[in-house]
Amino acid sequence: MSAATRRLRARLRAVARKYGLIAATGLKSRLAYLANYAGSMLTYGLFVFVFSRIWTAAFLGRAPAEGQGGAATIAGYDRTMAIWYFIVAEISVFGFGRFFWRLADDVKSGQVAYLLARPYSFVGYHWAEAMGPALVDMAVFVAEGILIGLLVAGPPPLLEPARALAVLGSLLLAGSLQFFLQLSIAMTAFWVEENAAFFWIFQKLALVVGTLLPIEFLPDAARAVAVFTPFPSLSYAPARIAVAATGSEALRLVAAQVLWLAGAVALANLVFRAARGKLAVQGG
Amino acid sequence: MAKRSTFRAYARFLGAAFRANLLAVMEYRINFLIQVFGMMLNNAAFAFFWGVLIDRTGGVGGYGFEDVMFIWAVVSSAFGLAHVLFGNIRSLGRIVMQGELDLYLLQPKDPFLNLLVSKTVVSAWGDLIYGFIVLCLLPGFGLERLLLFSLLSVSGGLVFAATFAAAECLTFFMGNSQAISGALTEFLLSFSLYPETIFDKGMRWVFYSILPSGFIAFLPLAVFKNLDWRLAPLLLLVACCYAAGAYALFRAGLRRYESGNQMGARI
Repeated sequence: MSAATRRLRARLRAVARKYGLIAATGLKSRLAYLANYAGSMLTYGLFVFVFSRIWTAAFLGRAPAEGQGGAATIAGYDRTMAIWYFIVAEISVFGFGRFFWRLADDVKSGQVAYLLARPYSFVGYHWAEAMGPALVDMAVFVAEGILIGLLVAGPPPLLEPARALAVLGSLLLAGSLQFFLQLSIAMTAFWVEENAAFFWIFQKLALVVGTLLPIEFLPDAARAVAVFTPFPSLSYAPARIAVAATGSEALRLVAAQVLWLAGAVALANLVFRAARGKLAVQGG
Repeated sequence: MAKRSTFRAYARFLGAAFRANLLAVMEYRINFLIQVFGMMLNNAAFAFFWGVLIDRTGGVGGYGFEDVMFIWAVVSSAFGLAHVLFGNIRSLGRIVMQGELDLYLLQPKDPFLNLLVSKTVVSAWGDLIYGFIVLCLLPGFGLERLLLFSLLSVSGGLVFAATFAAAECLTFFMGNSQAISGALTEFLLSFSLYPETIFDKGMRWVFYSILPSGFIAFLPLAVFKNLDWRLAPLLLLVACCYAAGAYALFRAGLRRYESGNQMGARI
């Protein structure tokens, strides 16, 4: 092993340790306040219950489709698939959907100024700090989703270990993509202080493109546009992999997530570089 | 005569509280407009969802798109109205817990009403406006439907306010009822915004008692579809009963309230 390779490996280890520590700190702080989960767990459970009833009513009395094992389908989804789709899609929203508020507050309060002088990347620091606790959030909602799903819809339509791993991987990619997109929006606070409207638009587009409904339900024109946006990579990808995707489709969905993630990381860094020039530190 | 002057004094007081709240939110106009826009956007996202779903299925639980849009409209307006006029309904428990009730007890107006109207919720204006926008877009819109819708929003708003306030009043008896009132808010909103028929018949009695979605959304839908004015006063009467129940619970709780000797001022 050459000296250069050794140096590179040592540097990578140091970087991983640094951001790992930041993530672990965030995770510990989240674990210290487990009671805070009660509210969001209740909301998630209630949402899943209500939507399970909506899907049950939507499929009631529909004629079974040929080649679907006798189950009625709408846009290629039967009742069980639709409910499990919703359970997985909402994990992305509940686990990773609220980074924006804290990030935007940090910009508005001037907290960011303290981070700029420290020996880590501003974007990387926030990613590690947010993703540590978000992993706990995701685990909580995965466990709750599985429990409620079993009660209201029975077992998931496709039970394979490789699929379960692919869903988890896709959820983690969705979480990071959510983070970098929300960070980019949050940093608009450097220019426009009241930037919540940008986030709301983003949030609602994410909700209608692949969260409340699979994108196969959308009208043709809307679906044709939606596939060229990052929104299907946020909730649709993990949910589709969980209930329907073949191996090659799953690979395509994950590849699209990786590409959008790379784009979102670049965007967040670009916005940060542009924003840094707007920051005026006045002592204190 | 004395009763009439008391009524007038309260009407003046409510008008003054409303004006003060409105001026306070208009002080931050951009924030106000953004919050209003955000709430309307949120509701519009669900309208899109229902449009797409019903287009695919032809109806859910016997509800068509216009039925669902009506319940979203009336629930949004009722919820908005409750929080525009009685902005403190969901802070009542916290105010009791932190001993901040003393402030209202020392003032000449009824503490329950005084406390509830002393704040408005900015985003609730968005809900209130959204309901009326949807109403305008529904087929058959006219003056009669506008009046009926307004009446149904008032009765629904009263039921919302009374139910939330009653849940918050449990703080007097339990010490902290935040979890219960938070859960009740979630349940009441969630059940009110979706067709009644998707839920099992066995649980529908709940919608006409502790989670009164039936009086906020489901009965108003029947009244509105049939332009049945006879049921409208009955809904108002039910709303008044809920309000009286919440007020009685507050008065009962007040007897258990212990002052924290906290100094405070309302400016």
